[in-house]
Amino acid sequence: MRFKMYGSFRCRMVLLLLFLLLDCNFSNCLADTSSEATTHTNNWAVLVCTSRFWFNYRHMANTLSLYRTVKRLGIPDERIILMLADDMACNARNKYPAQVFNNENHKLNLYGDNVEVDYRGYEVTVENFFRVLTGRHENAVPRSKRLLSDEGSHILLYMTGHGGDEFLKFQDSEELQSHDLADAVKQMKEKRRFKELLIMVDTCQAATLFSQLQSPGVLAIGSSMKGENSYSHHLDSDVGVSVVDRFTFYTLGFFERLNMYNNDSLISLFSSYNPSMLMSTAYYRTDLYQRHLEEVPVTNFFGSVMEMIHTDSAYSLLSRKESFRVEIKMSADKSVPDKKRLMDNPSDLDQISELNIEDQHGALKRIWSTIQKEMEKVEDVDAFVSYGLVLIVPLLAVSMWLTW
Amino acid sequence: MLSAQIESNPLLFPCHFQAIFVGFDSKPSMTPDALGSSILSQMTKLTSKPPQCGTCSTNYSIAVTVDSSLGCIQTRNLEDTSSWRCGSMGTTDFSDDEGVDKALADSLGGKVYSVVVVHGDREEVRAVVGKYRHAWVVGRVSEAEAVARAAEIFVKVFVNGGKEEGLIHGEFMPVGADGKIVLSFNLLNSDPQDWVYDWDFQSIDETLLSPVIEALESVANISVESQVLYHTPKSSFSHWDDEQESYIFSTKDLPFFVNSNEWHLDTSIAAGGRSKILQIVVYIPSARECPLLLQLPNGEISKTNGFISPMWGGVIVWNPKDCLKDSESQHPLRRTISQQDLQKVFEVVMGQFRQLFGLKSNNVYVGASGTSSLLASERGFTEWELDVLSRQHTCFNLHSCATTLGSLSRLVQSLPRMIIMDEIGKQVMYSLEAATLARSNASLGLYDSSAVSSRQARYLAEDAFFHPSIMSVSYYSFEHCFAVYSFRCMSS
Repeated sequence: MRFKMYGSFRCRMVLLLLFLLLDCNFSNCLADTSSEATTHTNNWAVLVCTSRFWFNYRHMANTLSLYRTVKRLGIPDERIILMLADDMACNARNKYPAQVFNNENHKLNLYGDNVEVDYRGYEVTVENFFRVLTGRHENAVPRSKRLLSDEGSHILLYMTGHGGDEFLKFQDSEELQSHDLADAVKQMKEKRRFKELLIMVDTCQAATLFSQLQSPGVLAIGSSMKGENSYSHHLDSDVGVSVVDRFTFYTLGFFERLNMYNNDSLISLFSSYNPSMLMSTAYYRTDLYQRHLEEVPVTNFFGSVMEMIHTDSAYSLLSRKESFRVEIKMSADKSVPDKKRLMDNPSDLDQISELNIEDQHGALKRIWSTIQKEMEKVEDVDAFVSYGLVLIVPLLAVSMWLTW
Repeated sequence: MLSAQIESNPLLFPCHFQAIFVGFDSKPSMTPDALGSSILSQMTKLTSKPPQCGTCSTNYSIAVTVDSSLGCIQTRNLEDTSSWRCGSMGTTDFSDDEGVDKALADSLGGKVYSVVVVHGDREEVRAVVGKYRHAWVVGRVSEAEAVARAAEIFVKVFVNGGKEEGLIHGEFMPVGADGKIVLSFNLLNSDPQDWVYDWDFQSIDETLLSPVIEALESVANISVESQVLYHTPKSSFSHWDDEQESYIFSTKDLPFFVNSNEWHLDTSIAAGGRSKILQIVVYIPSARECPLLLQLPNGEISKTNGFISPMWGGVIVWNPKDCLKDSESQHPLRRTISQQDLQKVFEVVMGQFRQLFGLKSNNVYVGASGTSSLLASERGFTEWELDVLSRQHTCFNLHSCATTLGSLSRLVQSLPRMIIMDEIGKQVMYSLEAATLARSNASLGLYDSSAVSSRQARYLAEDAFFHPSIMSVSYYSFEHCFAVYSFRCMSS
C-alpha cells in the first residue's frame, strides 16, 4: 500500500508540474477559441435496463419499448447503446418464447427482428456503464460498444430498474450512486462529449438520482420524487408478471402518435404526465438547461433529424485530357495479351500522346509517356513475354536451391 | 523547458506576401514602397480584430515589385529578394488559365503568397486564383482598385480560405481523435427488383482518390472502404411534378432522407475506436421514383442532386439513364455505372468532401471588390487551401489537446487517492513535446509539419485521458470507503 502511494505520489507530482506549466502556456490559446457555439449534428441514445430475473420483466419491456420508439423516430443502431440483461425472451418461464410484450393485448412484439443489444447479461455493470459514458475503453472494444458522441451530439440517457434514495441498483449486486453519475456527466461535459443530455429515469425515487448534477446542458426527468415509489401499469395474467411501468407506459403513449416529421415540444411531453395516473409525481429539473422547453422538439432527443447542407456544385477536377489518361491507364492494367491490342493502334495513341505531352505537367504523366514510348519500341510482344518467362525460370531454381 | 516558450498571443502563423504590378507604365508615381504601405493598410482594415487562431500574424511582410518597360523596381527592405523575372509576363496569353498558372508557378514558386496585377487593354477585369499560392488580376485596372483587389485576395482568400470569419467551426473538422478518417463509400440500390447497379470502384480509388488522400496527408490519415448495398429505400417522400417530368424531393425532406433503419452503413472493420467515419452514399432510386431530383427553396432544380450532413458524410442521388426498366425479363437488370457517369458522380463527391472540411464546393469567390474565379486542382485541394486547412487544424488540435490535458489535470487533482500509471505520465509528456514542436513549427511557418505534430499531440492527450486504468477508481467515493471500512471495524 505504501509503495503504491509513493509511486503514485511521485507520478502525480510530475504530472502536476507539467500541468502547471502547460496551463500557463495554453490558457492564452484557450481564451481565443473557447467561445464557439456548436451546432447539433447527431443524436445518441443510451438505454439501460439495470435489472435481471423474470420478475423484473417490466424493466426490460420498458427499455425495449423505448428502443423501438427511438429507432422508429430515426436514430440508427450504430448510435444506440442498449444495455440489457436480456434474460426474458428466452427464459424458461416465458410462455411466449422469443417474444417480449409491453401490453397485455400482445399486439406488439418488442423482441422483433432488429434488436441489437450491445451489452447483455453480466456485461451490464456499473463499471461498463461508466466506461460507456466517459469513453474509457480498452483498445479492443469494438465501435458498436462505444459512445462515439462529439460536441454536437444530443444524448438521451434512459435508465430503468430498482432505485432508491441517491442510488440505482445494478443487476441486484451493485449500486450506481448519484454523485458518481454526476461526476461522469461532469467528465463528459469537460471532454465535450455532448451538447445536450436528457436523462430519463423510471425507478422508485427517481428524482434523487440526478439531484447532484451540476453540468450545464443537462435536462433530467424522473418518474417519482424522493419518498415516492414508481408503480407498474398492469399485470399480464397470461405472461404472469407486470409488463410495463406507468411512467414508461404514458411516455410511449405520447410517442405512438408521433412520427419523424412531428415537432411537438418537450414541454408537451413533460406536461402530459398526470400524477394521479402515474400514482407518483414526475419531477423534472431544467435549471441546468439553457433553452426553453417550448422551443425544443422531442425529436431533438428521441429522433434523429440531421442538419443537411445542399452541395452547390461539383468540383471539376478532371479536364478532358485527364479523362484520356484515366482510360489509357486502365487499359494498361489489364493482362498481358492486351498489350498487343494497345500496340495495334499506334497511330491513334501517337496523336493522343502528343497532345498530352504538350499540355501535361506533372512527373507522373512524363513517366507514363516514356513508358508508352518504350513499349512502342518493342516490336514483338510475344518475344518480349517469352524472354521474361525464360528469365524467371533460373531465378526460381536459384531461390529453391538456396532454401534447401 | 516549456516555461521558456510562454507566448502571449493566440496561435498565429507567419505568412509572407508579395505583389507584382506589371504594365503600369504610365504611372511613375507608383513606387513599390508606396504600394506596399497602401496594400498593408488595406489588409489591416480587412483583418478581423482580434485575429483568429490559425490565421496569419498581423505584422504582414509584403514585398512589392513593379515591372514596367523601364525595368523592375522592388521594395528595398527585404531579406530575400523576389524571384520574379522582369518582363516575363509580356507574351503570356491570359485566356488560358491553366497555362498562366503553370507559368507563374515556375517563376514564383515557394511559400510566398503572390498576386500579380497586370494592366492590360481589356476593359473587363478578371481575377483568378491559381492552384498553387498565387493569383493574378488582368484588365484595365486602376492603381487603387489593384491595391484593393490585392489586399482582398491576400486576406480573404489566402489567409481566411475564402470564408468570412476565417475560422472553421468544429463541425467541419471531421478528423478523429487518433488523426484518422475512414471514407466509406456506399452504393445503394434501393430496389433490386428494378435494377441492380455495380461500380468499378477500384479504378476510381487509384486514379481520383489517391491524389486527394495524398494531398491531405498532413491533416489526416485517410483510408477508404467501399460496399454495395441492396434493398435500401429512403425514408422521406417525393411527389411527381409534371413540369419537370420527374419526382421531386425538396430541401425540407433532406433531414429525413437517410433511412437509418435499413441503411446499414457503419459496418467498417478497419475503423478504430477513435477514428472518424465519413459516409459517402450514392443512392439509386427505384423505378417508382425515377428520375428523382432535388428542388431547392428558390424553385430551381439542383445541379448536383447531392447534400451533406456535417461530421456524417454526404448523399448523392444518381438516376439511371432514361430510367429504363426491362419489364419483360424476370431477372433484375444488372448493370455497371459507366466511367463517365462515375467520374461525374465523383466530381460531386469531391465537392461534398470539400464541404465537409469547411471549404466551398464551387470555384468562385465573391468579394467586396469583385469576383475571383478559383482554379480547381486535380488533388481536390489547392496548395493555398491545404495551407489554410493545415493552419486551422493545427489550431483546433492544439486547442483540443490543451483542454483534454486540462481536464485530465483537474481530474487528477480532484481524486487524491487515484493511482496514475507511469504510462499516462509518459503519454502526457510526449503530448506536450509534440505540442511544443507544433508551436515551434508554426512559428517558422511550416504549416504541414505543425499540423502533423499537433495531430500527434491531440492523439496522445486523448490516449492519456481515455486510459482505461483511470476508470477503476474514479467512482470509488470516500463515503463508500468509510461505510465499508467502518462496518468492518465495527463487525470485527
